[in-house]
This record gives sequence, C-alpha cells and structure tokens, in this order.
Amino acid sequence: MTHFKHSPYQDWESLALKERRKEAPDEMLHTTLEGIELKPLYTAADLAEIEYHESLPGLAPFLRGPRATMYTGRAWTVRQYAGFSTAKASNEFYRKNIAAGQTGLSIAFDLATHRGYDSDHPRVEGDVGKAGVAIDSVEDMKTLFDQIELDKMSVSMTMNGAVLPVMAMFIVAAEEQGVKPEQLSGTLQNDILKEFMVRNTYIYPPEPSMRIVSDIISYTATNMPKFNPISISGYHMQEAGATCLQELAFTIADGIEYARAARNNGLDIDAFAPRLSFFFAIGMNFFMEIAKLRAARVLWAEYIDKLFKPKNPKSLMLRTHCQTSGVSLTSKDPYNNVVRTTIEAMAAVLGGTQSLHTNSFDEALALPSETSARIARNTQLIIRDETEMTKVVDPLGGSYYIESLTQSLINEARKIIDEVEEMGGMAQAVVSGMPKLKIEESATIRQARIDKNEDVIVGVNKFQSDDEQQLDVRVIDNQQVRVGQLKQIDEIRSTRNASVVNSALKSLSAAAESNSNLLEAAIVAARARATLGEISDALESVYGRHQAQNQSVGGVYGRAFEHNEQFMELQSQICEFEEEHGRRPRILVAKLGQDGHDRGANVIATALADIGFDVDLSPLFQTPEEIVRQALDNDVHIIGISTQAGAHTQLVPEVMTLLKQQSMNDVVVICGGVIPPQDHAALYEAGVSEIFGPGTHIPDAAANLLDHLK
Amino acid sequence: MSTKQELAAKLLEGDRRALSKAITLVESSHAQDRETALALLDSIMPHTGKARRIAISGSPGVGKSTFIEAFGEYLINAGKRVAVLSIDPSSSLTGGSILGDKTRMPMLANNPAAYVRPTPSGSMLGGVARRTREVIALCEAAGYNTILIETVGVGQSETEAANMSDCYLLLLQPGSGDSLQGIKRGIMELADLIIVNKADGVLLSSAQESATQYMRALSLMQERMPGWQCPVVLCSSTEKTGQSETSAQIDAYFSHAQASGAFTQKRLAQKLYWLEDETIADLVDRFKRDKSIQARYAEAVKQLESGRSPARIASEFVSLLLNNSQKS
Ligand code: B12
Ligand SMILES: Nc1nc2c(ncn2[C@@H]2O[C@H](COP(=O)(O)OP(=O)(O)OP(=O)(O)O)[C@@H](O)[C@H]2O)c(=O)[nH]1
Ligand SMILES: [Mg+2]
Repeated sequence: MTHFKHSPYQDWESLALKERRKEAPDEMLHTTLEGIELKPLYTAADLAEIEYHESLPGLAPFLRGPRATMYTGRAWTVRQYAGFSTAKASNEFYRKNIAAGQTGLSIAFDLATHRGYDSDHPRVEGDVGKAGVAIDSVEDMKTLFDQIELDKMSVSMTMNGAVLPVMAMFIVAAEEQGVKPEQLSGTLQNDILKEFMVRNTYIYPPEPSMRIVSDIISYTATNMPKFNPISISGYHMQEAGATCLQELAFTIADGIEYARAARNNGLDIDAFAPRLSFFFAIGMNFFMEIAKLRAARVLWAEYIDKLFKPKNPKSLMLRTHCQTSGVSLTSKDPYNNVVRTTIEAMAAVLGGTQSLHTNSFDEALALPSETSARIARNTQLIIRDETEMTKVVDPLGGSYYIESLTQSLINEARKIIDEVEEMGGMAQAVVSGMPKLKIEESATIRQARIDKNEDVIVGVNKFQSDDEQQLDVRVIDNQQVRVGQLKQIDEIRSTRNASVVNSALKSLSAAAESNSNLLEAAIVAARARATLGEISDALESVYGRHQAQNQSVGGVYGRAFEHNEQFMELQSQICEFEEEHGRRPRILVAKLGQDGHDRGANVIATALADIGFDVDLSPLFQTPEEIVRQALDNDVHIIGISTQAGAHTQLVPEVMTLLKQQSMNDVVVICGGVIPPQDHAALYEAGVSEIFGPGTHIPDAAANLLDHLK
Repeated sequence: MSTKQELAAKLLEGDRRALSKAITLVESSHAQDRETALALLDSIMPHTGKARRIAISGSPGVGKSTFIEAFGEYLINAGKRVAVLSIDPSSSLTGGSILGDKTRMPMLANNPAAYVRPTPSGSMLGGVARRTREVIALCEAAGYNTILIETVGVGQSETEAANMSDCYLLLLQPGSGDSLQGIKRGIMELADLIIVNKADGVLLSSAQESATQYMRALSLMQERMPGWQCPVVLCSSTEKTGQSETSAQIDAYFSHAQASGAFTQKRLAQKLYWLEDETIADLVDRFKRDKSIQARYAEAVKQLESGRSPARIASEFVSLLLNNSQKS
C-alpha cells in the first residue's frame, strides 16, 4: 500500500488560490455577522491558539459538556414550551404530550398574566388566553397541573414580570396537591434584565425588579433545593436580532449581575450558583451555534471563578436549555421549517444542551396546532432515538474548526463582557439602553441583508414556491376564554375571606417597603386566594410601573441601500408627494395590547424613516383609544399596526370603529406581523387596506403604502 | 373640516382634530396652503397670547422629554392644559424622521388635558422655528395655557427657542467639577431657570455639587432680566422630585416679569423679531419658489463665466428684481 507523505500547508494554499482565482490568502476570508473572520480551512496548526482543547467533559471549565458522560448516560430533556386558552385546555394538552414522549413541562402564560393583570383588566381585552394560558388565581394553577404529579414532573415556567404571584401560586398549588416545596423541581425564568432589553414583559422599574429576583433566589436556596430559580436567557436576544456573539456576551454578563445581586443579598456563592441555569437560542448558523454553547460554558466557569471564588465546582458549571430559533421560520412555504428546525436541533445537541424545545412549522402563523406540535416534538425524538448521535460525548470536540471558532467567540465575548463590567455591570448597562440599541442595530442590518437578497431565505427571497397551501392553524376565542375567567374571578372573590386577603396584601406591600422576603409574603396572599392582579398591584403601589424609554436606530438601513435603484425611486416618489401635499407621508407605527414584540415595529420604523417617511412610534401596550388619539394628534396619513401576539382579531376592528366615530376616514390603516390568512377577510372587511406578513420586503411595502396614499 | 371658518371655529372650541389639522396646515410647504394658513392665523390672533410659553432646552439625553412628562403631569394636576411641541427631532439622511416623543411621554400622549405634537424637521424652509411660532399661536387659540417647547440646545435652535418663549429653562446634567467648562457660557446666559436633572440615585450628590457650582458661575454673570437672579433647581424626572420647586420658581419668574413690565416688553420685542424673521424667510421662500425668478437667476449664474465678481452679479440681480417688482 502506498503511504502518502504529509504535504506542507503552502501546497494546499496555492491550490486553493488557484481554485478560487484569488491572489492573496486574505481574499479567501469570510467575515461573519459577529465580525469573526473565517478561513476556508483549519488545520492542526490552529490548535496552538486553543486554550482548553485538552479539557474533559464534566470537569472545569466544561468546554466539552457539564457532565462526564453527557447523552451516553441520559439524553437531554424534551421540553416543549406550550400554553394557550384556559388552564383546563392547556392541562389536557400537557397530559397528551407527556403520554407521547415529552419528558418535562414548560408553561407559556398569556400576556395579561405576564404583565400582572387579571383577565378582567380593561387593558388586556384582546390578550386573554391568546398567546399563552390565562392564570388569575391559585385555582387556575391547580387546574393547570391537575393529574400531573408535581413531585415527579419537572416544570419550567417562563415568567419574569409577574414572577412573585406565579411562583407563589405554583408553590401553593403543589402544597394543596400534597407536594412540599423541597420536592419541586423545575425552572423559573425570572430573568428581568433581558425583559428590559428585548422581551418587554417587565412590570416594575429595574431596581425593585432586581430585588425580586434576588428574593426568589434566596427563597429557593433555603426551601427548594431542586428548583432553578432563574434561567439566564440569551434566547430572546437572538430572537430580537442579536448576533450569536452579542447573545453570548450579554447573557454571561447578565449571569454575573444576578450572581452579584444574590451575593449582595447575603448568600454564599455555593448556596445558589449550582442552581443558576441558562437558556440559549439555536439559529441557522450551525457551527457558530455549537461553538457558542461550548464558549458559554468556558466563559461562565472563568468569570464565576475569578469574581466569586466558589469552593463547589458545580458553581462553575453552566447548564442550559435551548430552543430552536422562531425567527428563522417563515410563513411562506412553511414545510421548509421542519428542515430548519431539524438542523438547529442538531446544533443544540452537538453543542451539548441539557434540554431542548423544537419549534413547530406553523411558528410564523399562530400557536402550534396538534399536528405541528407533534412533528416538532418528534424532530428531537428522531435525533435522540434513530441517529446514534447520543452515543459519544461531544463528538465534535477536537475539530480544528469548532475549537478555533469556540476560541474566537470566547476572545470576542470577553471584550464585550469586560466593557459591560466597566460600565458597572449589566444592570447599569441595561438602564443606559446600550445593549438594546446594539441588538436593534443588528436586527436592522439583518433586515437590510434579507431585503437586498444578500442573506438567502429559501421560499422567501429566493426559490419561492407558487403552490400556496393554507395550513390549519390553532384558533383561540379570547372572548370566550375571558368570559370564563371573569366568572371564575367573581366566584373566588365571593367565596374567599376578604379580610384575610386584605391583610395578606397589606403585608406584601409592607414587605416591599422593608426587606423581608417578598416571595414568602406572596405565598401567604396566594394561599388566601388573592388574585394575580391584586398581588401585582400591592407591589405596584410601592414600586410603580416601569415605562420604557425607546431609543431608535437611524441610518443603518438607508446606508445599506445607498445607490440602490428601488430605494432612489422611492425617495423621488416621496419628494413628489411632499410637493403635492406640503409634507412627507406620515405614518404612526402602532403597538396594541400587551404584545411586546417590538422587533418588527422598530425595524419598520427605522427603515421607513430612512426611505423618507415621517414615522411616529407609539409606546408599547396601547389601547385602541390611545392609538386613535395619537394618530389624531399627529395628523398621520397612515396607521401601521404591527401585531404579533394574536390580539389583532379583537383590537384592530376596535381601532376601525373608533376612527369612524372620529370621522377619520381618510386615515389609511394597514397591519403587519403574524396574521394567519384565515384572519385576513375579517380585517379587510373592517376596513384595513393592506396586510403585510412575515418576510415582507420593506421597500416593496413602502411602495405599496405610497400607492395607497394616491 | 370643510371650510376655514369652520376650522377656526372648531379650533377656538378646543377641538383636538381641528388643532391637529390646523398645525398641519401652517406647517405645510405647499404654496397654496400658505394663504389659507395666514387667513386662519388672522382669525385666531385675538385669542392668542394668553399662555405661558416655556422653552425646555439642554443637550441630547439630558432628560428633556422625561422632564416634560413629569413636569407636565404636575401642571395638569394643578389644573393646567399643556401643549408640548418639539423642535428639531432626529432626522435621517434622506429627510425622514423617527418621532419617538410619544414613547418618552406616554402619560401626556394619552392625557385629555395635554396635546403632544412633534414636528419633523425634514425639509422645512427657513428653519423649524418659523412654524413653531405659528403652532404656539394655534395651541393658545385652542385653549392650552401652558406651552412647553422642547429644543435641543445646539446651534441656532437655542436662540430661536429663546426668541419665542417667555421663560427659558435649561436642563443640565449632574457632572464632575470640570463639567462647567463644557457648557457654553452663551447658553447659560440665555437661561431664566436652570434645572439640574437626574438628581437621584448615585448621581444625587454630584447633582448637588453641580448645582452649587452653577450658582457660583451664575452670580458672576449679568442678569438677563433686571432683578432676576437665575435660580438653580434640583430635579429628578424619573423619581418625580423637584417639580413643585420648578413650578414655584416659574411662578416667581412670571410675577417678577409681569410686575416689572419685562414680560410685555419681551413679548413686543418677540413680535417685532417674528415680523423681521418672517419677512426675510418669506423673501427667500418666494425667491426659491418663483419659476421666472429662478430662470433669471440661472441667467445670472451664467455671468460667472465672464469672470465678473459674484458680489457684483448678485447686487445687479437683486436690484433688477426689486425694480421689476416696483413696476408690476
Ligand atoms: C422574535 C419573536 C419573539 C421575541 C420578540 C423579540 C422582540 N423584541 O420583538 C421573543 C423571544 C422575546 C418572543 C416572546 C414571545 N413570543 Co414571540 N415570536 C417571535 C417570532 C419568532 C418572530 C417575530 C419577529 O420579530 N420577526 C422578525 C420581524 C422583523 O418580522 P415581523 O414582526 O413579522 O415583521 C415583518 C412583517 O410582518 C412586516 N410588518 C410587521 N409590522 C409591520 C408594520 C408595518 C407598518 C408594515 C408596513 C409592515 C410590518 O414587516 C416586517 C419586516 O419584514 C414569532 C414567530 C414568527 N416567526 O413570526 C413569535 C410569535 C410572534 N411569538 C409568539 C408568542 C406566543 C410569544 C410569547 C407571548 C410567548 C409567551 N407566552 O411567553 C412571548 C412574549 C413576548 C411579548 N412580550 O409579547 C407567538 C404568537 C402567537 C399568535 N400570534 O397567536 C408567535 C407567532 C410564535 C408562535 N407561533 O407561537 N417572541
Ligand atoms: N436617573 C435619571 N434618568 C433620567 C432622568 N431624566 C431622564 N433620564 C434618562 O435619561 C435618558 C434620556 O432622557 P430623555 O428624556 O429622552 O432625554 P432628552 O434630553 O429628551 O433627549 P433627546 O430628545 O434625545 O435630546 C433616558 O434614559 C431617561 O430615562 C432623571 O431624572 N433621572
Ligand atoms: Mg427628547
């Protein structure tokens, strides 16, 4: 047999230059969105730069995984995020899913609950039961977990704003099932910093919000040893537009801030750090995502060790949940989404996640249907049970490329984390608005790249399909859910002992003003059947409600389109419009109800302004009356309602009625966002002029708007 | 709004929609709208002038909008009707703008006793201030008795704002000792009242220090109005402290100005300035809009080739224009 000699690197390089017809090696580099330069080939020589390539799984700094045997011992937890309509409907769904192979629960609450409002509050008319399950009291919580054994099933709850009432109700529901707090396992998201940045279900201002987080960490450290009191989340940052690097760095910086807050609350690092958990998004950049999870583990171990000097090695160990990226999924040609989710799920597994949610192919249309939810779940069951991917720990460890990419992310993330630390930590940075603005800038760059076809999305900006199939989507009758919830609230109010409730709520307000543990006080109130809204109000009366300060990105979109023909054509149309009407076209980009999805609205606002529109941006969480009032005061030509959380069926017709009452018939109303085709007819009937769905090309949309003004 | 009489009548009734349309009308760059706008202004003039006009100035990010949200709420609780106008918001390369003011003043944006109207700076001829004066008049006619004008304290806009307001509030950041050097003396001299904003949390003590320094600096400056030493007030717009002190100082300022006659004098001077400014702006406007003038200007430009001095060409061209218009 011939034995080939080892060839020098230069031989490959000259071959490569010839194949690519390039002069210098530098011309073959590719720069990622993160700003990392990729070479076309990595070799053993690159390992010289790798700090930890000889490290082992289960041992610090956990580059190759938090556990020694990883999936060879036990696979990740299959944890599908779900919740809709009433507690009863969601409970039935959970039990079916458990029977079909799901191994952990993950509760999605509706937006009224997230924002601390009972279902009867006037500001949540369109939101009850729509984008998650409606919970008003312990009774709902008990129904939610009916016939689910809370001492056995681990329960994750995505709750951040109304954490106190929700956690309290969870503890009391378990208690009334006969399960003690120490038996409960699961995770509370409880990550308020990223709410101020990207997720927008905050209630109180940052300072008291941070105190609530620490109080919960303190409570679980003493009473709930199997429960993760926080899930430090990068997921929402990436979904809001962050690059993998931004997600990575800001999340670790968030984690550092929480650890600091808990320590300042008097806890020893080893009393809580082993129970801090993480949550990352896994998008389509396959290798980058794998490297990100590996880098996150190393960074966490390094920073915790440096800043807090724990004795327990578990304090250094980053454990994480992952979810495939929803924003990578499209409403056009939606079956492609199954493929995307599969690729992302594989990256999560190869990166070493501890639990996983896989998205449904109808993600960009509505909450998952029974069918789409099954296929989503099966995606990970197939990876787990049919591919043998689980048989070896960290199968990509030692790959020249993966190790190099991991190291690059570590190096770049350290710079950002150190910058944040210099600003005084993430709480300060968040108040300054810096991370939010950086993320919005990335979202705008991404939108421009898609609109210019520089980033390909199959079925959206390339290889579009003519065969438009309409999917059956889940429909939720929010009015019906609301009526049911109101009845339930009335019943509770009439059967409970009012004076016990009042004194529990008073003690809660008093706790907010002193420093006794807030969760303890909330549990007493929940047990007495105080409602979620009442508990939130008791705190709001002391802390007030937070009002976000919006800063906007400007010029990023326009610069990307410099010299673009369509763009210049639009600008000259706007000049003509101005000559004819004495001003530029003016649009109010509006957010209605408790829907906090603002990526679409912000991107549209900045892009339209760069095109030449005058854009008024409404605050978040407006009622139809408020939007009509703002449109009237600013005398806009167009109201552009950006709606993602399903409340459009209720709130958009209300806007139309109010406009008629004000004889503002000349105002053009358009909708954008997540609106399934099933809802279009009713919106057009109500007087909406145009509907722009996910994947909308913004210059095309701008042209369309101008047409409507003719 | 079918006719301009109807518009004026509705405006005087305080109809929100009429006010909103009237503002659009006076801000319009359309030549035909101008005549209608002037007629409207004529008919409402007797009903203007009764509000307190307060300019809120300060560098970007100092907290002007947040201050207005907090102070506006205070005023409304005291029974006032507040109109908020903002000059010079951000404008992009292409002339479009994002007007995020309602996101920063969510309470005022939805309060029935308030009216918030941001004006895009876009391609307004003759500077935004030119129309802001007219918008102030419209708001007064519609029954708003306090007009807050937000203006970024840079360049021309600060003097313009001072020239259309009764009282000029300057917001400053708490800062270290040398922050004083950073502030242009010129701006401090315009101020009738200085607010050190963000006097809360970790910034509180440096805010107090800054206030002392500003006071010392002010004591060396000439009084802008005889007998009125510009006070310095500490304020937190987020914690909502300092609003009543601010209000008390403004009251004191107005009583002093009214008693001394300075108020009447200033209003008169501002009317004169308005006339002068508008005359020049309108001339420029007409010059730019008139096609035949533009054609003749193009002819004049050609004379550059002959090597004549631009100053001479301009002088001859303007003489020609003025003589022509005298004849016609
Ligand atoms: C990103 C995202 C998030 C991010 C939001 C980050 C942010 N700051 O915006 C995070 C992770 C925080 C999040 C959280 C939640 N989400 Co979410 N999210 C999405 C997701 C994946 C993408 C939305 C998006 O931003 N796309 C990118 C932007 C650029 O696109 P777009 O908004 O569609 O806008 C484009 C067009 O629609 C159009 N357009 C939009 N508006 C306008 C306006 C005008 C004037 C014009 C001309 C055009 C236009 O042009 C834009 C450019 O192309 C969607 C699913 C999907 N793929 O669409 C779910 C989705 C909207 N989320 C959903 C839910 C349920 C939630 C939660 C309520 C879950 C829960 N129970 O806790 C939370 C709560 C969030 C909150 N506060 O409201 C559901 C809503 C269900 C429904 N409608 O029935 C969806 C549909 C997912 C699903 N199928 O379950 N989410
Ligand atoms: N701590 C503190 N922060 C404040 C206060 N007032 C404003 N801010 C913050 O300062 C930032 C800027 O506030 P704005 O009100 O938008 O400032 P502005 O001067 O109107 O800014 P521009 O209109 O962009 O020039 C925001 O993040 C506010 O939350 C205050 O009194 N205390
Ligand atoms: Mg401002």
